[in-house]
Amino acid sequence: MSTDNDATTEQVDLAEGIDHQVAMVMDLNKCIGCQTCTVACKSLWTEGGGRDYMYWNNVETKPGKGYPRDWEDSGGGWKSSEHNERKPGEIPSQEDYGDAWEFNHEEILYNGSDEPLRPDSDPEWGPNWDEDRGAGEYPNSYYFYLPRICNHCTHPSCVEACPRKAMYKREEDGIVLIDQERCRGYRYCVEGCPYKKVYYNATQKTSEKCIFCYPRIEGEGPDGETFAPACAEDCPPQLRLVGFLDDEEGPIHKLVNEYEVALPLHPEYQTQPNVYYIPPFAPPQHSEDGESVDVERIPRNYLEELFGERVHDALDTIEKERDKVNRGGESELLDMLTDTNPARKYRLEVFDDE
Amino acid sequence: MSKRGGMRTAATAATIIVCFVLLAASVGPAMVSARPANQIPVESVSADAQPQDPTSEAWDTVPAVGVPMASAPSSVPNASETSVESIRVQSARTEKRLYLRLSWADGTADRNVSGPRRFADALAVQVPVNTSARPPISMGSDRNLVNVWYWSADGKTEELLAGGPGTTTKFEESAVETETTYDDGRWTVVMSRELESSAENRTPFAVENNVDVAFAVWNGSEMERSGRKSVSEWYHFPFGPGPQGPPYESILWTIAGLAIVGVALVTVKAVQKN
Ligand code: SF4
Ligand code: SF4
Repeated sequence: MSTDNDATTEQVDLAEGIDHQVAMVMDLNKCIGCQTCTVACKSLWTEGGGRDYMYWNNVETKPGKGYPRDWEDSGGGWKSSEHNERKPGEIPSQEDYGDAWEFNHEEILYNGSDEPLRPDSDPEWGPNWDEDRGAGEYPNSYYFYLPRICNHCTHPSCVEACPRKAMYKREEDGIVLIDQERCRGYRYCVEGCPYKKVYYNATQKTSEKCIFCYPRIEGEGPDGETFAPACAEDCPPQLRLVGFLDDEEGPIHKLVNEYEVALPLHPEYQTQPNVYYIPPFAPPQHSEDGESVDVERIPRNYLEELFGERVHDALDTIEKERDKVNRGGESELLDMLTDTNPARKYRLEVFDDE
Repeated sequence: MSKRGGMRTAATAATIIVCFVLLAASVGPAMVSARPANQIPVESVSADAQPQDPTSEAWDTVPAVGVPMASAPSSVPNASETSVESIRVQSARTEKRLYLRLSWADGTADRNVSGPRRFADALAVQVPVNTSARPPISMGSDRNLVNVWYWSADGKTEELLAGGPGTTTKFEESAVETETTYDDGRWTVVMSRELESSAENRTPFAVENNVDVAFAVWNGSEMERSGRKSVSEWYHFPFGPGPQGPPYESILWTIAGLAIVGVALVTVKAVQKN
């Protein structure tokens, strides 16, 4: 490893002026859609104060319209990999996000009403409205879960969109933040982010977003300990790896840059995300009488739409390594993907001595 | 025709032209407007007449200036799509305060920014910090700062300091008072501030020179905000020497008139020579 260190350093493409870049890899094959991450994030950062409708972390069913509804058609990002011209974008409507519903808990739990538990309003859309719907027909329907946070992109079009330079990429770790003192709530970042991961707070009159739990990774937790972001630490199947893209000894660098099996979502938006996904496998299709047939359940072209052309090689690589293990061989790749040791999954202190 | 007869005719013609020019110089400006270009006259009113109230009768006798508005040059998306094309501006002073009454048509009063796509109507008045130098119109520059009085229909008025686009910072406490009405499809906003200013970077109005002023309006329901706004050119308050400030238009009319006379006389001379 150490002999070709210099060569690999050059491969890790960090944003200008950034010392290191935080990154996350999520293995979509392990997500059970439990929303523990969503709740962990919400109870830490987005309860009340105008934030109820926001989910800095959300988990949506794919295929599906997502949160906010149809965010993939809302524009934003860059026109090309030159990063000199942004694509126009739109601010989603409140209806597309969905409201934080109030429920009739009071009547049912305390006033003896035998009405069904339901929202006081009459909503027609909301986050996860199309949960588990997916696509395809019985017996070959399919879906998977896609957890999403801000990608803390290397070329963040949100930062570029702000006419006040209120958004910035932190020098020490590339986390993308909004200076709440400078923000005047113009929402050009909201329309400029192609992932729609900046949210307007109508109470504070500023925009807000995922902060990669920076107080936790800085060791501001109890006993001065360093913690990975709450969405990662609280995930029951522990499907997220957290660390630095440029930590060449860590699994993230290997999965992203060496094996190339961890891919950004919608690379064509050209913001160069730093959240990466191991694409999902599914059992093969079934014939009407329940026999497995040699047809992939999740259409490749759909995965290509989400993760770009490189998804084919990524899936092939994983497949090959699985075969190897099935034949009794060893695979560093599968070891990384099945590792349960938190010290290896969360490598957030590797650059602390600098 | 004899030579002498020709001379007399030419002299008569010249006299008639001069008379016409003088007449034009005196009547011309009155036909265009009764005041120098881009001036916001400041009428004296009594504080008892409550000029802070947009509906006060004090404003009935204060002349209004129709100020054309156009999209500001800006790099934000859709910057050229703005909706307000003109505003009416009146100004008055009491012994202590300077008042501006601004009014414009807007079919919807956008007061609540309750959702992600909602923006409030807003108004800004810009004056230079140093009243003796005219700053760049788009929010000044780092060497030539401006004060911005920013009113937003969601109920707040801010007093801001700026040195170029995207640089506004708030004064700790706003010294600007605002009262507004929305009636019959029109916003009317009265902003006022004490004439004197001792605070650092706060424009003084108790000065002996004209003070530049410019305006900006945002229509919230058209998603106008930030650099997507309708703006005016520089106007000025005539605080300089003379009751009305330098009468640019009269001067221009007279110069133009005398030029015509000059040309006429030269032409007459030339005709006589042949
Ligand atoms: S995901 Fe969106 S908000 Fe986050 S850094 Fe990228 S462009 Fe900005
Ligand atoms: S906590 Fe983990 S398994 Fe549950 S939804 Fe979130 S990412 Fe998926």
